Amino acid sequence: MDAKLNAKDLINVGLYTAIYFVVVFAVAMVGYIPVFIPLLSVLVPLIAGIPFMLFLTKVRKFGMALLMLTLYGIIRALFGGVWELLMAVVCGLISELILRASRYGSVKMAVLAYGAASVTIFGNYIPIYISRDAYYARIIEGGMGLEYGDALMRFMPDWSAPALLVSCFVFGILGGLLGKAVLKKHFTRAGIA
Amino acid sequence: MAREILSGDGGERGLALDPRTKLLLVFTVSVVLTAGGYGGAMDYARPALAAAPFALLLLSRRWGSAALYSAAYMFLYCAEMFLVPLTYGIVNFFILATCGMFSRFMPGLVMGHFLVTTTTASQFMAAMSRMRVPAKVTVPLSVMFRFFPTVGEECSAINDAMRMRGVSLAGGRPLVMLEYRLVPMMVCGVKIGEELSAAALTRGFGAPVCRTNIRKVGFHAQDAAAILLCLFGIAAYIGWLAR
Repeated sequence: MDAKLNAKDLINVGLYTAIYFVVVFAVAMVGYIPVFIPLLSVLVPLIAGIPFMLFLTKVRKFGMALLMLTLYGIIRALFGGVWELLMAVVCGLISELILRASRYGSVKMAVLAYGAASVTIFGNYIPIYISRDAYYARIIEGGMGLEYGDALMRFMPDWSAPALLVSCFVFGILGGLLGKAVLKKHFTRAGIA
Repeated sequence: MAREILSGDGGERGLALDPRTKLLLVFTVSVVLTAGGYGGAMDYARPALAAAPFALLLLSRRWGSAALYSAAYMFLYCAEMFLVPLTYGIVNFFILATCGMFSRFMPGLVMGHFLVTTTTASQFMAAMSRMRVPAKVTVPLSVMFRFFPTVGEECSAINDAMRMRGVSLAGGRPLVMLEYRLVPMMVCGVKIGEELSAAALTRGFGAPVCRTNIRKVGFHAQDAAAILLCLFGIAAYIGWLAR
């Protein structure tokens, strides 16, 4: 097997990153109701598991998962999510190493790799925890209103940081299992995955 | 539906900006408007940056998009000005949060739309290789940029089909709704991906040689103006952060 990524692999990476980004973005839109902001660590990993698991069926070489998450991070950074780029690179590397340990052949390891990849979503929350006051001021001044800011701060106490981190991972695993089930139901039968 | 492989719809209408300038504009507009507040130089930078996508859409003769963007922005602005003082409680909260969020996110998204629709994949690749970005990054990135508008088209087509079949949020089965939208979307994606890679390979994409490019990319006076605007926006943002 050729270890270098060829044109087809690179095109697949681009394609699935686009689908993944659109799905994550669509789900994240519900975050404009403050109570949903912490819930995003549940919803996003769960739903985005479907496209990600389909992507992982195409991954047979080192670097594809890392490249995908890095590209996702770059697009997020373009829209202001610099922390998420950092998380994406770190989680992408971990996820890639998990896949490599299983020689890109095990479905169980793929689910675990997606769990690791999902921790990327936590990058969105980092600014709230490390600079709470500045973040609060930014929301109020930015025009979201006092109530939105207060509600968000109430739903995101400091102790919730580890909980959300774990939630990203656990629901990533569940999302991976959901993705696996959907693949089995639709794609394996159609000969796509 | 035209699905020209690895080349957007030309984008040669009207003003021509370098793809790198467009990337800088997307970054500046979205970061300064979403993360920045008000006061000082920001009071000038915000309207200038919010107007930038409108001006660019006009200059590249995309009248429809320009009209839509300005109408939506005006509507949000007026709603924030006039509806917010009139309401209170939960309604006020929703109007404020909706207007606040969309008026801050929309310019960045419209700028992204402008980047994607006015840049051909060739131009993008040429600009990126000038910046010495490796092909491992540029190829997937240009596929993504090419693919975003397609995802939108497919989504709305699938949405129509599903509404006709009565599969919607109102049906009360969110999982079914999700499955019936995501799965067709991904099947489309897989098919388009296969077509794209076949076409790209035919064009010698995988060849182990240096690609040449007939597109000329470079910076001109209009790029300088746009970059100056970005620098002003970033300076205002840094000033606001450090105040």
